[in-house]
Amino acid sequence: MIRPEDKGLKGKEQMSRPKGSVLVVGGGIAGVQAALDLADSGFYVHLVERSSAIGGSMSQLDKTFPTNDCSACILSPKLVEAGRHLNINLMTLSQVLGVEGEPGNFRVRVRKNPRYVDPEKCIACGTCAQKCPKKVPSEFDLGLGTRKAIYLRYPQAVPLKYAIDADACIYIKKPGRCGFCQKVCPTGAINFEDRPEEITLEVGSVILALGFRPFDPSGLDFTGYGTLKNVVTSMEFERLLSPSGPCMGHMERPSDKKEPEKIAWLQCVGSRDVNRACHGYCSSVCCMYAIKQAVIAREHSESGRLSSSIFFMDMRTHGKGFEAYYERAKREGIDFHRARVHTILPAPNENLRLRYSGEDGEIKEEEFDLVVLSVGLETDPEVMKLCHSLDVELDHDNFVSTSPFTPVATSRPGIFVCGTLAEPKDIPQSVMEASAAACGAGSILHESRWTETRKKEFPPEKNVYAEPPRIGVFVCSCGINIASVVDVEEVTQYARTLPGVVFAQNNLFTCSQDTINQMVETIKKEGLNRVVVASCTPRTHEALFQETLREAGINKFLFEMANIRDQDSWVHQKWPDAATRKAKDLVRMAVAKVRGDEPLPYNHVSVTKRALVIGGGVAGMVSALSLADQGFPVCLVERKDSLGGHARKFYRTWQGRPMQDYLEELVRRVETHPEIDVQLGATIEHVEGSVGQFRTRLSNGFEVEHGVAIVAVGAESFKPRSGPWNYLYGKNPNVHTLLELDQRFIRDDEALKGLSQAVFIHCVGSRVPERPYCSRVCCTHAIDQALKLKELNPEMDIFMLYRDIRTYGKREYIYQEAREKGIVFIRYDLDNLPRVNEQDGNIVVDVIDPIIDREVRLHPDLLVLASAVRPRDDVGELSKLFKCTMTEEGFLLEAHMKLRPVDFATDGVYLAGLCHYPKPVEETISQAQAAASRASLVLSRDAVPAESVTAVVNVMKCTGCAVCTQVCAYHAVTIDKNSGKAVVDTGLCKGCGACVAGCRSDAITIKNLGNEQIMAAVEAAMEE
Amino acid sequence: MEKEIVDLSSIRARVKRQIEKAVPDAHIDYCLTCGLCASGCPASGIEGLDPRKFLRLLVLGQDQEILETNWIYSCTMCQRCRYACPMGIDVGRIVYEIRGMRPREKRPKNLQRSCDLQKQSNSTGIPNEDFVWVVNDVLEEVRQNEPQWKDLQAPIDKKGALYYLNQNAKEPTVEPEEMVPLWKILHVAGIDWTYSSKWWDGANYCLFTGDPEDWEYTVRKQAEVVDELGCRYYINTE
Amino acid sequence: MFYATLEGLRRFNIPHKFEFISVISLYAQLIREGRLKVDSSWNREGLKFTCQDPCKLVRQGLGDVVADDLRFVIKAVAGEENFVDSWPRLSNNYCCGGGGGALQAGFVENRRRYGRVKFDQLASTGADVVITPCHNCHTQILDICDFYGGKWKTTHLWNWLEKALVLDDKA
Repeated sequence: MIRPEDKGLKGKEQMSRPKGSVLVVGGGIAGVQAALDLADSGFYVHLVERSSAIGGSMSQLDKTFPTNDCSACILSPKLVEAGRHLNINLMTLSQVLGVEGEPGNFRVRVRKNPRYVDPEKCIACGTCAQKCPKKVPSEFDLGLGTRKAIYLRYPQAVPLKYAIDADACIYIKKPGRCGFCQKVCPTGAINFEDRPEEITLEVGSVILALGFRPFDPSGLDFTGYGTLKNVVTSMEFERLLSPSGPCMGHMERPSDKKEPEKIAWLQCVGSRDVNRACHGYCSSVCCMYAIKQAVIAREHSESGRLSSSIFFMDMRTHGKGFEAYYERAKREGIDFHRARVHTILPAPNENLRLRYSGEDGEIKEEEFDLVVLSVGLETDPEVMKLCHSLDVELDHDNFVSTSPFTPVATSRPGIFVCGTLAEPKDIPQSVMEASAAACGAGSILHESRWTETRKKEFPPEKNVYAEPPRIGVFVCSCGINIASVVDVEEVTQYARTLPGVVFAQNNLFTCSQDTINQMVETIKKEGLNRVVVASCTPRTHEALFQETLREAGINKFLFEMANIRDQDSWVHQKWPDAATRKAKDLVRMAVAKVRGDEPLPYNHVSVTKRALVIGGGVAGMVSALSLADQGFPVCLVERKDSLGGHARKFYRTWQGRPMQDYLEELVRRVETHPEIDVQLGATIEHVEGSVGQFRTRLSNGFEVEHGVAIVAVGAESFKPRSGPWNYLYGKNPNVHTLLELDQRFIRDDEALKGLSQAVFIHCVGSRVPERPYCSRVCCTHAIDQALKLKELNPEMDIFMLYRDIRTYGKREYIYQEAREKGIVFIRYDLDNLPRVNEQDGNIVVDVIDPIIDREVRLHPDLLVLASAVRPRDDVGELSKLFKCTMTEEGFLLEAHMKLRPVDFATDGVYLAGLCHYPKPVEETISQAQAAASRASLVLSRDAVPAESVTAVVNVMKCTGCAVCTQVCAYHAVTIDKNSGKAVVDTGLCKGCGACVAGCRSDAITIKNLGNEQIMAAVEAAMEE
Repeated sequence: MEKEIVDLSSIRARVKRQIEKAVPDAHIDYCLTCGLCASGCPASGIEGLDPRKFLRLLVLGQDQEILETNWIYSCTMCQRCRYACPMGIDVGRIVYEIRGMRPREKRPKNLQRSCDLQKQSNSTGIPNEDFVWVVNDVLEEVRQNEPQWKDLQAPIDKKGALYYLNQNAKEPTVEPEEMVPLWKILHVAGIDWTYSSKWWDGANYCLFTGDPEDWEYTVRKQAEVVDELGCRYYINTE
Repeated sequence: MFYATLEGLRRFNIPHKFEFISVISLYAQLIREGRLKVDSSWNREGLKFTCQDPCKLVRQGLGDVVADDLRFVIKAVAGEENFVDSWPRLSNNYCCGGGGGALQAGFVENRRRYGRVKFDQLASTGADVVITPCHNCHTQILDICDFYGGKWKTTHLWNWLEKALVLDDKA
């Protein structure tokens, strides 16, 4: 990566300048994302983690919703990246003791607890743990499995270094008694003399990302948890499903290790319970994870007979893609019961009996062989203590207090928060906030960008064109992972016989630091010019080995990996001979392929340091300001004649903060900011270029060059002028949408005080066949409005006709407040819709109350329709201009639903706000800040790397048919007007190969993936 | 139950409001209609009601139905629903209030009679002298027939005894020999105890009729007796 | 009724000098202190015991503490191995259906319908003896046992405690 040189400020300037480093506390997904964003945008990061490895709760999950991605698989690369990052100082087994000072200049005391294993020497071979005689329950498996006193937190732990649990270790408790690990460690890494150490760090800002702990249901005797063996928590069930869990993913129930055939999930255990759990909030994620577990459990079921039932109060599938996931689960036969169960009863054979009441009051009983308690999220008492000592304010549920307009700022300036520490939330939301917190933490330090970072220097690369291939093969044992199945020595010897191979060696752990160092020396000494590593997966390790080549002065593309672990030893454990043969085949193929590899250039695109922000609503303005405040120029484009967007129509946030005051200040700041150029009444006409260098033409003829773009074009409110959701809208003057009522609030409409009865209908046009998603904001908005009406006239009768109340997180409290104030909630179903009629100009609403199963007739003088948030119709055009994709519903689609929530698949383009999905203002703001953070990764650099493995056109063969230009998803191929031949823009090309497949003339190839090379590998595979 | 339209031009819910006045933390409106109470209540289905439906009728102001249903006498006010209710709603307490709202003449006769008798002396209505006589008679019999228990005690109105013991009226009335085991146990343990000749009944049905004045009166009387005797501990036999 | 007095003293703020205790707690205390010596060897046949947790004493009264005391005493009296617990239990146990004045109120059919839950629960323990430390529970459980054809014996605790007493010579 190319970065500006150290600004080299001296003397007085240096004294007043803030620190260029940040402390991130907590190594879960939020902390890791914040650390990566900061480290990649010019700040040095100290990442402090309490346990022996980063990864947090996400590493314990089996799959993630709604994509059913393997959690460890999508998380691992991020952890590896953080673990290897030159500008991230990873401090595991460490605790923050105190933070003193001011924003820009904090002193942090950190205690590093002893690992008793020297991480420099440990190669994670596992011999120590094999010999260690002391077994203790594994925290990672929540006590369902065991680990040794010397242990790895989990198999993919980062750092992949063992640690000794002093509380369990026989030697540490009684020196001289055991010490086996020390005797067997091949590298002498065990250090019983390790002692705690207190250090002081100087940082400019702090991010708290300390996560949550799952609610412990032991105190809820009626669940039977702790007594009835087959009652487990949802987190325990994740471990039961996980391939790295105590039953290797075979899904066994605790009592008899039998595969369950009937599982029930009980929702809201430790959430929405002010009586026994003392947690009045909703934990936001449990509905979705329960559905996910029910779906995944079926996949795990070897008998294929698994039946799953979910017992819930309100099904809260309010996120992007969640409602569709819920509907699919229903179609797939998962039973959903709208019922909370009083007590889990034992049944014969350690089974469990649930007695529940249908909505109609009919009592039913069903037997299950496993019950999963969908436990909520809460703050760890240790974390509370830390927050108190840092003077960071907590709310009454012990989550960090934040404000809707500064969603990642804590009560203490310079200290930011992200993830579940502030409120229960899902992974994408946590990741979004992590980037937002990075934006906040970086903003106050922006003038010190790149002042404390380190830069990797590589020796000049050797020219290998003239040389015959001199291939080195490194065969990894991966501890026992590979060597226990594959005869690695035989594979190594075999490798030596392959053409071009001049060196082959077997290593216990090829990725260990000492082996890496040795590999550099070997490459130099043996004069190697191509390298094959036969080990694990390129997904986690390719970058490491490629960097090793560069350290040895070899172009990093002269490298291949043969995956003899994931694709061989792990899957063919029972057939070691065949596995050894397969390992040889894979090595032979890799050698054949690497022989033809050529050095490729490290392409770069220089960066135009300006951002284009499209949309002048809250999302657009916040992201523009977030960038401009860091000194990056911004061009803000708004199609209307004034800034403000959707928020103009909003009365207040659900926390009661007036929207218009905030908006006015926001607009003023944007309009007066010297770095922001506002283009009103303009839309995007044409876009060309790619990350670092975009050129965009606006409808007003203005042309702007920019390095990045943020799309924040908002959405619209659905107006049910006709059709099934009309409910007299537009026909009776007393029927409003939510925003129309908000406008009456904004103008202090006195008439509202005189109303005697108001009725709200929820889900008007949401969660219906033509718009199958949940609009996320309407439940909260409608309830807040009902409360406002109660403020205006406490005597007003108010009825909320709803399908599921989705006041997730802390919003649950306004639902509770609404009930407390006598607002009556009546549930309806799609097959039993409320009927709205007019009688002599008066509105009459009929609805069936399902609890007493009687028709209720209401006579509102105000009927409010909580109508859907719908995507803008023109968003499709815009997405095409930036080569972005859309969901079926018409919202813009991010690069990855889970871990890249504000990035588009197109590099350098980001999204924020309602165009992504309906969301309340606090989430819009954090997403806007997150988009700014992601954009600053590009803007903070002078140049960004571009793909090296790109397509090349053989002009001799090219007929100029232009098929390639049509199949290229990145618009990287064009037909040159002069030559009539295809030309590839290497700045845009991703090396996907679509053009190669599409070319009829065989004229396009991908570098290092040409036909000859592929065929060489294929032929090698066929050889014996 | 007949299905009629519940017309809510305005919800008065007078019964609900009355309860809320008497019990500020009744939290009737907090109900999430989750059905947990109904699933755990043995009275669910009786008289076509369950705790959730019952609360719902209150919330929707169906006062007449609430005041007329005999479900309030199937609910034993056991508070098991409240024990696990996420909102901690105390249906038992609400039922208590509604029982009290019934005019006396419309309450179950025997229940009201038990309380009325209790207010005079004890729930069975046997005279206090009879209680004293029965205790002494039974004690005498044991002392005579069982030589190893010749020193057995059953003191009544013993001032300054460390323990006061109440006695469910059922035993002296219908199965007096059932009193003896406890006497023996206390004797073996060397407990210094006494009965009282007044307000000695361990049962108390005034809790169930719904009239706080009656309930208060009977408890106050018991407390006075025990304090008069100067006992440090009041042992309840059930 | 334990709760009637306990809650009455509390709710009406009735002044009193005494400490209000349950006889069950007293039994447990006396056994623990060695003032009552009990021996379960009388139970050679291995009669199985279970118990009812009276709502007024346990859930509404003293909570799990007194329910644990109850079990402690029964186990001491009848033998540890001869106690079979029910589920739900302790503070979460079902009401027998005789409480709250139900035995006096007269709705016999309703009362027995209510008691069906308790009957099934107790029957499923397979116990020979059900200890009922409350008169209401005693009457109701006796009735539902008879009505639904149960096989157990419904009794107070003191009968068995008396049976298990180890008497010093002087007694």
